[in-house]
Amino acid sequence: MSRHKLVKALDLDEELDDFDGGAESDYGEEIGAEDKEQLRVGTARVRDVLGPGVSIRDREIEDSLWHYYYDVDKTVDYLLGQRTNSQTPKKTKKQRTAAEVKQPDAPINSTQDWGTGDHITTSDTFSSWAAPFSTADFFSDCPWLNIPGDRHGDILIEPLYPRGGLLGGSSKSDGAPKSKLAALAAARKQKEIQKAEDGQNATNSAALLDKLIGKPRQLKPDGAPISSSGTPLSAITEQTVKEQPRKYPRRKSKRLESPEDDQPAKKTSQKLSCSASPEIEKPPEIIPTAGPSVFAQIIFGAPAGSQQHEVYTSDRYMLRPDTYTEFDFAGPSPDDVVTKAQNTKGPTKKPVKQPPQPPSGDQGVNAVAQSVGNVTIEEPLVKRKNLDVAAEFEKSKPKNAANFVVIGHVDAGKSTLMGRLLYDLKVVDQRTLDKYRKEAERIGKASFALAWVLDQGTEERNRGVTIDIAMNKFETKTTSFTILDAPGHRDFIPNMIAGASQADFAVLVIDASTGNFESGLKGQTKEHALLVRSMGVQRIVIAVNKLDTVQWSRDRFDEISQQISAFLTSAGFLAKNLAFVPCAGLTGDNIVRKAQDPHASWYTGAPLISLLESSEPVTRALEKPLRMTVDDIFRGGVQNPLSVSGRLDAGNVQIGDTVVIMPASQTATIRGLEVDSESSDWAVAGQNVVLHLADIEAKYLKSGDVVCPPSAPIRCVTSFTVKILAFEHITPMHCEVHKGRLHAPGRVTKLVAQLDKASGAAVKGKKPRLIKPGSVAKVLVEVDDPIPLEQGGKVILRAGGETIGAGLVE
Amino acid sequence: MTDRRRINGPPSGTSPPVFASSLSSKVFPAKRKRAPDELRKIFLKTGLTPSASGSAYLELEPSTPTAAHKSLATKAPALKLTCTVHGPRPLPRSAPFSPQLSLSTRIKFAPFAARQRKGYVPDAGERDLAAHLETALRGVLIGERWPKSGVDVVVTVLEGGEDALWNRGQSSDGGRTGGWGMMSILSGCITVASAAIIDAGIDCIDVVTGGVAAIVRQPTAPPQVFIDPCPADQEEIYATCVVGYLQTRDEITELWTKGNVTLSIDLGFEHLLDQAVEAAVAARLVLIEAIKESTEIKVQTSRIGHPKNAAS
Repeated sequence: MSRHKLVKALDLDEELDDFDGGAESDYGEEIGAEDKEQLRVGTARVRDVLGPGVSIRDREIEDSLWHYYYDVDKTVDYLLGQRTNSQTPKKTKKQRTAAEVKQPDAPINSTQDWGTGDHITTSDTFSSWAAPFSTADFFSDCPWLNIPGDRHGDILIEPLYPRGGLLGGSSKSDGAPKSKLAALAAARKQKEIQKAEDGQNATNSAALLDKLIGKPRQLKPDGAPISSSGTPLSAITEQTVKEQPRKYPRRKSKRLESPEDDQPAKKTSQKLSCSASPEIEKPPEIIPTAGPSVFAQIIFGAPAGSQQHEVYTSDRYMLRPDTYTEFDFAGPSPDDVVTKAQNTKGPTKKPVKQPPQPPSGDQGVNAVAQSVGNVTIEEPLVKRKNLDVAAEFEKSKPKNAANFVVIGHVDAGKSTLMGRLLYDLKVVDQRTLDKYRKEAERIGKASFALAWVLDQGTEERNRGVTIDIAMNKFETKTTSFTILDAPGHRDFIPNMIAGASQADFAVLVIDASTGNFESGLKGQTKEHALLVRSMGVQRIVIAVNKLDTVQWSRDRFDEISQQISAFLTSAGFLAKNLAFVPCAGLTGDNIVRKAQDPHASWYTGAPLISLLESSEPVTRALEKPLRMTVDDIFRGGVQNPLSVSGRLDAGNVQIGDTVVIMPASQTATIRGLEVDSESSDWAVAGQNVVLHLADIEAKYLKSGDVVCPPSAPIRCVTSFTVKILAFEHITPMHCEVHKGRLHAPGRVTKLVAQLDKASGAAVKGKKPRLIKPGSVAKVLVEVDDPIPLEQGGKVILRAGGETIGAGLVE
Repeated sequence: MTDRRRINGPPSGTSPPVFASSLSSKVFPAKRKRAPDELRKIFLKTGLTPSASGSAYLELEPSTPTAAHKSLATKAPALKLTCTVHGPRPLPRSAPFSPQLSLSTRIKFAPFAARQRKGYVPDAGERDLAAHLETALRGVLIGERWPKSGVDVVVTVLEGGEDALWNRGQSSDGGRTGGWGMMSILSGCITVASAAIIDAGIDCIDVVTGGVAAIVRQPTAPPQVFIDPCPADQEEIYATCVVGYLQTRDEITELWTKGNVTLSIDLGFEHLLDQAVEAAVAARLVLIEAIKESTEIKVQTSRIGHPKNAAS
């Protein structure tokens, strides 16, 4: 046995582990019940194999079983090897026997259990294998380069290279750059091979492979380890010998021992033996290996001998100029080299550019360059100018500003009337209108050309109805107006509400043509009028449109005026706040200019535009806390990534103000401000503004939010009392709460009281169970998500596409 | 779902014209000529794919030599499998932490592997086989030594034995993916994957091999257990059993039985299992030979050095 083996047999890891006294007990505790059972079974098996002649402690067997993952064969090998190692020096053995007598529990194999064993044994054993290691001995045979002639040799073994195989990348270690893990694996592989070479590599690897074949090692006729250990073959039971050709003896033996009822057991065993009998004749060396098929021959190439030749003659090695070296993909690719050079050009150029200067100057340049590099561009903070907005507003001597909403039944001609107004006031030029006219004719809706001034959407134009609020501006000598062109169709009432909430007064357009007026009165004419009234609009101008279709009949106009004024006064408008004007939107009569039609000569009043101008300037709540309902959120350009538009309901605002967006309660800074599409430093209530916000993300904003000052933020409520005017029967029911742009699902939870229409006092009696249309009542409304609301806010309740009521929050 | 980016062939093979003259010799179903406990000859070689960390090729010749038949139509199919093992390699960053080697197996039939063309997307049968293969291999890998890494085992079936001769009319249609033939293929897959894993140098507790046995109806005698049934042999099979077996440890990592074992009362399930194990043990001999061969080449190469290294 060579010294190498001795060294190898010394399991350093284990030695070191065991040296730590406490480690072993911990080790034992870790073992689970299942493992214990396996250990027990394994120990019994090892004992079986070793036979009674060998005295090894259970503990040792268990340790080695644990180490070898319960592999019995390996354990036996290991233990036998251990024994032979420890027994060779006779002196130690004697010593040990003495120790055994003295201390029966002491470990037999001293390489184990150093911590618990006595010191004499340990030191002895140590010397027993450590002594032979003298360097002089070790190198005694070394010629130190003076190799005698008889030892010289030429190795002429033809190397057996791996075949070419299929095309693909190299699996060799010098191939493409590998991951760390792959490198580790390769290193491991390499080490293993190295190990195999170290010893008697041929025999060693053969032994390893023999082990793989799985024949129990002790059965080998020349079983080296067994003969060396001196254990007689008697350790193997008769039964195992008999089972040997079946190649999986343990399984069989277990089965035969199993306590089955006798009869079938015998039968099976007989059957097994007979089925096994032909196999005994068949030597186990017969391996069912086939030669390669034609296909396999092609993919693997020719058999090894000639194939090697092929490798050499392939153009890969031969048909290249000598200077050619194959690129092995280990380094950077040529492309990478070029790219790298290009990238490094910038910095390398710099010193070349610099003219040779005295070192001090050079330093100065460097310092500047460095400081430039250090500069970080900070976002310029918006400075607040601390304006007194109210005073500024007074100073600016503003024109009267008025927002008016145009309402009326669908197809009453609202958009066309407004388009005409804008056209006649030269807000829209002739060319644009001609273009619209041409396009409208093309799709066969020539009469809609004027409406297209306000209806910009494709769908709106194709369908010929307004869908969303259209906003436009125009100015007269005294007033600047904002038109809010509301959709008349009943499906788009929410949009109309949004528009109406921003209006100071309303223009009610009525279709005077036969039949249409009546249908309109039943339809949205009434609903719109009620809605704007409940939104707080007091003044209303009634444009009796399309009078040209009835030859400007005065009777018709009077009839309509009577009916409408009767209805509007009943709805709560004061008679003095009503103004009627007969007009024709398509022709433009009585809108900006007086009607030219001789039939219309009976009307002596002012045209529509004068009536609009005569609207009283609204009082502005300048000093109240800021309230602005967000109408739209958009990207206002590169400079202003986030902008909101809307009408200032109350208060004022200026650049640099910090505002709170409710209900998200996120603060934002006003970076810029636009009033009527012109940038301004401030804005006051009643103006339509665009706020450019900073320090806030778009996700916190949605239309219907309220912008307020941080000092007086609007409260977000989930339940509130409303004093409403009922349009429909109201019971505790689900409804949708509208407030300007904002709408939220909610429900009427409680009918608090019915109110007297005239006095506003609660009607005595029991609580109402139903509120009839037209009556006034106080109801409790709850919404799912908090909505920003405050006292005096105007809300509208809708259910099932119908407006059921409108009123004030209390 | 068909892949519309490729030009796919017809879903099933077109039959070559069978002329009247050839029909005079009646197409006999091939009969098994091997002994009941005799395997088909196996050809197994490792290192087929250089770019993979481990690879192997396995071939099972049909038990009846093809030369015996003049007609193309009755050519018995062979079983040809290639396996590549990639890894162990680090798991992608997106993957969750895995304290041991995560194994993923894939079995794919080449579109031309069987008479019935297969799609490019793995079907249920292939996924089922892959799951079985994974079970068989998981038991043999020592996964704790490779934390945070994964290994991909890909088996490609180049030619898969069919369950029935295609020209004998439509057999039971379920057989397309789940017939007896699948069992033989799985057994082959286990063996070839084991070889490829060893070629890749991944730590295993033992060498696992696949074996298959079947209870076959005999025309006159009572049913008998045949090792390694060949689908081309046209046997009437009652039950089949596949095992993945570790011989040195006497352990089974995978066991899959199909069919009615109770039909043959005296040959119990245990006997069927024993025979399957027997087949696995025999296949192991071939596997060991193949490993030996490749190991010798590797040892020599590492000692002498590759010509390419010497050149550069």
